[in-house]
Amino acid sequence: MAESKKTLYIDYNLCIGCESCEAVCGYLYGQPRIHMTRTSDGITVPISCHHCANPACLKACNVNAFHQDEDGAVVLDPKACVGCMVCLSVCPFAAISHSRSGPDPVAKCDLCAVRRAKGMTPACVEICPCGAILFGSPDEIEAELRQRVAEGIVQSHMHPERFGTQVGLRAMKKSVSVEGYAAGRKSDPED
Amino acid sequence: MNTMNYAFLCSAPPAPNGLKAAVVGSGPAGLSAAGWLACAGYEVHVYDKLPKAGGLLVFGIPGFRIPAKRIEDAAEKLAAEYGVRFHFCTKICTQDKVCESGDEFVQEMVSLSDLLHECAAVLICTGSWRPRRLNIPGEDLPGVYTSLEFLFPLRACKMAETRVAPPQVEGRRVAVIGAGLSAVDVAQSCLRLGAGKISMLYRKTVDDAPAGRMEIKLLRQRGVHWREQVTPIRITGEDRARKLVYTQAGVDQNGEQELDVDLVVAAIGEVPTNPFPRELRLEDISKDGQGWLQMTRFEGVFVAGDVLTGPSKIGRAILSGLRAAESLDGWIKSRDPNADAAKEADHG
Repeated sequence: MAESKKTLYIDYNLCIGCESCEAVCGYLYGQPRIHMTRTSDGITVPISCHHCANPACLKACNVNAFHQDEDGAVVLDPKACVGCMVCLSVCPFAAISHSRSGPDPVAKCDLCAVRRAKGMTPACVEICPCGAILFGSPDEIEAELRQRVAEGIVQSHMHPERFGTQVGLRAMKKSVSVEGYAAGRKSDPED
Repeated sequence: MNTMNYAFLCSAPPAPNGLKAAVVGSGPAGLSAAGWLACAGYEVHVYDKLPKAGGLLVFGIPGFRIPAKRIEDAAEKLAAEYGVRFHFCTKICTQDKVCESGDEFVQEMVSLSDLLHECAAVLICTGSWRPRRLNIPGEDLPGVYTSLEFLFPLRACKMAETRVAPPQVEGRRVAVIGAGLSAVDVAQSCLRLGAGKISMLYRKTVDDAPAGRMEIKLLRQRGVHWREQVTPIRITGEDRARKLVYTQAGVDQNGEQELDVDLVVAAIGEVPTNPFPRELRLEDISKDGQGWLQMTRFEGVFVAGDVLTGPSKIGRAILSGLRAAESLDGWIKSRDPNADAAKEADHG
């Protein structure tokens, strides 16, 4: 399983909180399994299952309703589930929810099992306008993230005036540093 | 990285169902609907007044938030693999005058009745492109922009078009009115373009800012001057905007204050751009009750996205587009049960 394991990775550096992922998930499954959550400071963050290699939900479940499928997705068997929600209380990512529609007591991401069976990737990955949701093996995800960081490092070396002292993804996203802005521009009003 | 895929509902292009559908507007709602319809076997024609697909994803939201190339590739995928035909620089109209951002690019006009004649159904996803106005004196002076008037040329001028001139920002003093996501985008763009001084003015407090406290805090860290509980009174200047006069609650009761400015950008929201306001009254559409979901009082004309709901988030527009496409398909199939042959074998 380790060889073929695939997972979902959300690159929060690139996410703009647009809710596209939640929308298509909700369209497909009635109740979204990826949850846009607004922080007290007003940043909207998607919360979803990490499909952990060592899932706390799987261990804590009283009725062994969870299993890991051949791709490594942590999948819940709704027929076995009794709806005790111990999984939600142990999940470090609050990725499991009470089902608000349908007969199953609990809803969670299964990496779009029905779609994977047809050779498709999870819908949220396909619709994200920012490329912030990655689906693949840990190797593939690591390679993509390193690629992104490398691009950021090169950009910040090429354009230190725009990126200041920050490197990598943070620099690409934030782009204008306080120092650079203050030193370069503030003291020369035009007229 | 994967290519973005609006036709995400099917694993491969389906067999054609012999029906034509038109989508007006290629923003998130229009592209999602086009993807849905393509997966159901329709010959989809997408019309847009701009020279590229994406709508506000490409022409409103800055590229450092959404990479324009990713949207371009997604539209290209729809065209190349799913046979979706894009008709750019084309506006669907009645006799009414054109008057919004983006009309600079229009080369061809097609009437709604022609479209309805050629296609089994039409879906209107024209978004919210008409900016709300401040309604204060001096608003029409040169140097006063709405958020879309400001952001659109920044994006559009990169397409080697000479029709639009981007606002000159470097070294200038900019006042941004509003604290929503487009106000933040304007301020961020000004930072990137090297504005001399950026002030952000908002009628309520930072806790009420629709963009959230964190975005405002980050802008302030980068040197943006934040003024809250501010009411703009007028913009003055002989030839162009030079001063913004405002009052601020709690600072000096009834006292007017002045801010020296070169540019004023009013980012106080947009209103839906229904292309046929007299014929298609959007308030008549039942949002989820009776009749076909999102169908207008004209048989076969549907609406989706911001034009129906007012400005919202990308996800809401996508969902609206998908639901409207499903409703449109249901309406067509209900009239002609024989058209069902290739129906969405892969949907699910």
